[in-house]
Amino acid sequence: MRAYWQLTWAQLLLFARNKNMIIWSFFLPILMMLALGTFMGNGGTQFSMTVAVDDRDHSTYSKQLTTIIDETAGIKVKRLDEKKALQAVKKGDVNIFIRLDEGLGSRLESKKPHPKGEKEPIQLYLDKSNPTVSQIGTTVINQAVDQLNKKAMDYHPIVKVAEHNVQSRPLRTIDFLVPGILSLMIMSNNLNGVAATIASWRERGILRRMQGTPLKSSTFIAGQITARVLLNSLQAVAVLLVAYFIYDVKVYGSWLLLLMIVLLGTLTFMSIGFIIASLSRTPETAGPIAGLISFPMIFVGGIFFPVRDLPGLLQPIVKAIPIGYLTEGLRGVMNEGASLSQLGIPVVVLTAWFFVAFVIASVTFRWDVK
Amino acid sequence: MIEVNQLVKIYSGKRVVDGVSFHVSEGEVFGLLGPNGAGKTTTMEMVEGLRTPDGGEITIGGFNGLKELGKVKELIGIQLQSTALFDHLTVAEIIRLYGSFYKNMRPLSELLAAFDLEEKKKSLVKHLSGGQKQRLAIAIAVVHDPKVIFLDEPTTGLDPKARRDLWDIVLQLRDEGRTVFLSTHYMEEAEQLCDRVAIMDSGNVIALDSPAGLIRELASDSVIEFVPGKMEASSTYQGLVGVKEVKRAEDDSVTLLTTHLQETLRELIALADEKELTLAGLRTRTSTLEDVFLTRTGKRLTES
Repeated sequence: MRAYWQLTWAQLLLFARNKNMIIWSFFLPILMMLALGTFMGNGGTQFSMTVAVDDRDHSTYSKQLTTIIDETAGIKVKRLDEKKALQAVKKGDVNIFIRLDEGLGSRLESKKPHPKGEKEPIQLYLDKSNPTVSQIGTTVINQAVDQLNKKAMDYHPIVKVAEHNVQSRPLRTIDFLVPGILSLMIMSNNLNGVAATIASWRERGILRRMQGTPLKSSTFIAGQITARVLLNSLQAVAVLLVAYFIYDVKVYGSWLLLLMIVLLGTLTFMSIGFIIASLSRTPETAGPIAGLISFPMIFVGGIFFPVRDLPGLLQPIVKAIPIGYLTEGLRGVMNEGASLSQLGIPVVVLTAWFFVAFVIASVTFRWDVK
Repeated sequence: MIEVNQLVKIYSGKRVVDGVSFHVSEGEVFGLLGPNGAGKTTTMEMVEGLRTPDGGEITIGGFNGLKELGKVKELIGIQLQSTALFDHLTVAEIIRLYGSFYKNMRPLSELLAAFDLEEKKKSLVKHLSGGQKQRLAIAIAVVHDPKVIFLDEPTTGLDPKARRDLWDIVLQLRDEGRTVFLSTHYMEEAEQLCDRVAIMDSGNVIALDSPAGLIRELASDSVIEFVPGKMEASSTYQGLVGVKEVKRAEDDSVTLLTTHLQETLRELIALADEKELTLAGLRTRTSTLEDVFLTRTGKRLTES
């Protein structure tokens, strides 16, 4: 027991005295969060769109319609002639082009239904390859036209709808990113960190010197785990505090559950790190092997974008590896306030990964180079 | 205290330790002397329980050195060739850490005093000199007050002053009643420190006795060395009075081992006049373990 505490304490001292480690593992996640938060902006969910209007009617109605569209939140109106507008749509500078043809005002004044076969006075041009923008754009403009139609007919609604906002947790880009950054931090600290450190200690003979004492490998590994779990919890709390004070990112679920998932992630990725350290012959190969494993995980782990946005071909792989579950668990607790039972799948999968990896790690662990 | 019987270690088909046997008595300083690559470190590490032998038996303090490793490790203290420690821990932290691995630990202050590390107590390992690092390595080897201490080439790479300090420490350990098992490729070190020496070459023990006994076995107590200037057959010198052994090194120098220094010298000078030899660098000295090694293997211990 004395050996376990001494080893844990020694490892914590080594962490504290390693300036590179502090910079990389403490400030990097915080810097990454600050950078992403600034570039992506707080209004990550705000919708913005530019609509080009070519008003050839010049009636009060056509001007009213332009105003209605312009006043819609997130939409900016540009006045362009047809040729320039179509070019702009093709280039992507403008999302939608509306041509208001001559006769729009007189049609509305006539208050008669649109006769069959007659050309529509409003023409909409858009790029359908961007489905989100084209759908929302069409809806917004149809609503504007509808409003204009109702006004022209002096129409008063019979039944009205009252809207109530029940979503108390608006999910912004930064809310989505912070758990992802935590997940990335846990993976790289432990997988890459353990693989490189242990391989280097073995190469230098530090482990062999310990092998010459009655110290058991399980005690050594337990000390490593404890020190790293403490470090990762501290780092997670630091990242979360920065996120809270700068971006108002909240943890809706239980902090205890969040730390439990941090712990599970740490254990899983540490065990994998130990396996890599055992399989690689030198520290020079341990680093690249760990990098080769962790780098793709950044993209398929749901860290910067949701796992469901990945191509179907990758889905079976994504479901097999642990990183996506760690991100899912952290996101569940932070964004949705999920309880342990709601996070059953990620917790069970991570635990299973930990047990399998831990068994392999203990079997393959070597004090010695040869 | 230590009993080693027919120890074998094979690396990629090569028998780097090839049937080594010896015993170390309680309270003695026992040395393994031999050139680099003779199998000293491999032998030591098998006895320490760090490497598994491919054959043979080891007994330490009555325990089986292969099966009762847990008990053996409480009994022994080891210093590896170039012991690597955590660079960013202080001397006191390292001693406490290694002390925690054993059932009992000697007081920190006692160890710091014994190894002259009191002033360096709060220094990081990476800021220590070579001699200080080596003293720390031995301090953690005796942190649990072991009966047997293994020192693998403890003075390699140290300056002469630090080497003398270490010799004092080894003798101190012996005076405390511990058994010391050390390896070295310095014959002077083996002569100064060891009660008995096993000379190793190519994985075999080729001689084992006290340094004085080994030299006595040479049946010659003096050595004459010179460079003759031109080649003469070994038999030319063999005929001189008192010459027991003639060795020729690659640098053309000739070494004569003799029982009668004065007579041999007189005849050698006469021979040189007659054959017009130069006798450049002529010098005489008493026999050392170096000569024992030269006689047994035809090779020099240290590459000069």
